[in-house]
Amino acid sequence: MSKKILIVDDDQEIRSYLSELLGDNGYETVTANDGAEAVDIAKSEKPDLITLDLEMPNEWGPRFYRKISQDDALKRTPVVVISGLNAIQYAIPKAIASLTKPFEPTQLLKIVKDAIG
Amino acid sequence: MFKKILLATSGAPSTFGAARVAFDMAKRYGAEVVVFNVMGVPTKAFSQVVNDVRTGEEIEVDDEYRAWVEEELKSTFEKQIESVEYAKIVTTTGVPSREILRAARAEDADLIVMGASSGDSSAYRKGYPGSTLQRVAKAARCPVMTVHRETASYWGGFGNIVFATDFSKQAENAFKFALNSAKELGCDLTLFHALDISGKVLDQNDIEDKLIAARARIRETYGPLMGDFKDFDIEVWEGVPYVEIVKIARERSADLIVLAHHSRELDPELASIGSTLEQVILRAGCPVVSVSKPDKV
Repeated sequence: MSKKILIVDDDQEIRSYLSELLGDNGYETVTANDGAEAVDIAKSEKPDLITLDLEMPNEWGPRFYRKISQDDALKRTPVVVISGLNAIQYAIPKAIASLTKPFEPTQLLKIVKDAIG
Repeated sequence: MFKKILLATSGAPSTFGAARVAFDMAKRYGAEVVVFNVMGVPTKAFSQVVNDVRTGEEIEVDDEYRAWVEEELKSTFEKQIESVEYAKIVTTTGVPSREILRAARAEDADLIVMGASSGDSSAYRKGYPGSTLQRVAKAARCPVMTVHRETASYWGGFGNIVFATDFSKQAENAFKFALNSAKELGCDLTLFHALDISGKVLDQNDIEDKLIAARARIRETYGPLMGDFKDFDIEVWEGVPYVEIVKIARERSADLIVLAHHSRELDPELASIGSTLEQVILRAGCPVVSVSKPDKV
């Protein structure tokens, strides 16, 4: 059974690109365009990994992370931060990795493979 | 509560975090942002020649220079200004701290938002907040929010406030601000006290007795003031206060820390910024509000 990844980003192009990249490499993907929507999707879809943007229209990445950290079923889900902002490694210190846009696809794939196979 | 926000900015990248928070608050809570910039410090009293705050160069302030500075600020914050309903740019010359305080009074600002220092040197970033923040935090009638590390501005709105208390008289005003913010913005509130054991080797029973006493003191001091507000926790543990405040905020994913401006000196006109607050401002992963006066809490 393929592993499921939740892609959280307000940029449609990034969502499509990541869906394609991860889909082509054998992962199932679901997407959310905002942190608020992403909480519901994470609860219903139970992803194996989450890629997370930081600055979004309503609910920003760190607050989404706080919400899933309080959910017993989701709190151990690995999170990869993908954002264009500076100093993002400090935004969610417990994320397994932080990638600054534009990022190397091979680097993301390696992070994902190391985390969930 | 947050109807008018004074964003004090030199336009330098070190203030971008403060700008992100100020504009996001304005968008979320329907506030007006006054983008306030002190262009330069007059070289002599009433002189038209000033030292530019960014470059240090001597500049003659005329209409052309004013227009150029305004245009620079407009283009720097263009997207953010467009994203809010009410924003205006105000520029002036003078000593920055005095002009910021003057503008906050004139605009009747509910909150001043600023960076901790314009310097990007490691000495500044590690050591202490700049003199402008120190003077503004001390004398402002309204709470002062500082956003120092850029990562402190990546929250988007407030949902989880940490109020750190040392049980000083000054902490009462900070508590009122924290509670009112939590009520108005629908936040969780953590009342936190760090038992200072730096440089001491205490018996463990002694430490735990003090922790129990501190928890009881928080309940007695702040419990009766809560009214019908229920979304609060009490947390007390031992350590070095500034380290523990930064740590609890990080562990709880707090998006706002509220502290009193000082504790030891009772006269607010004399007290300088407390060393704990100073270190929390420089290290926190979220905005920090310091409260000195009771006027706007």
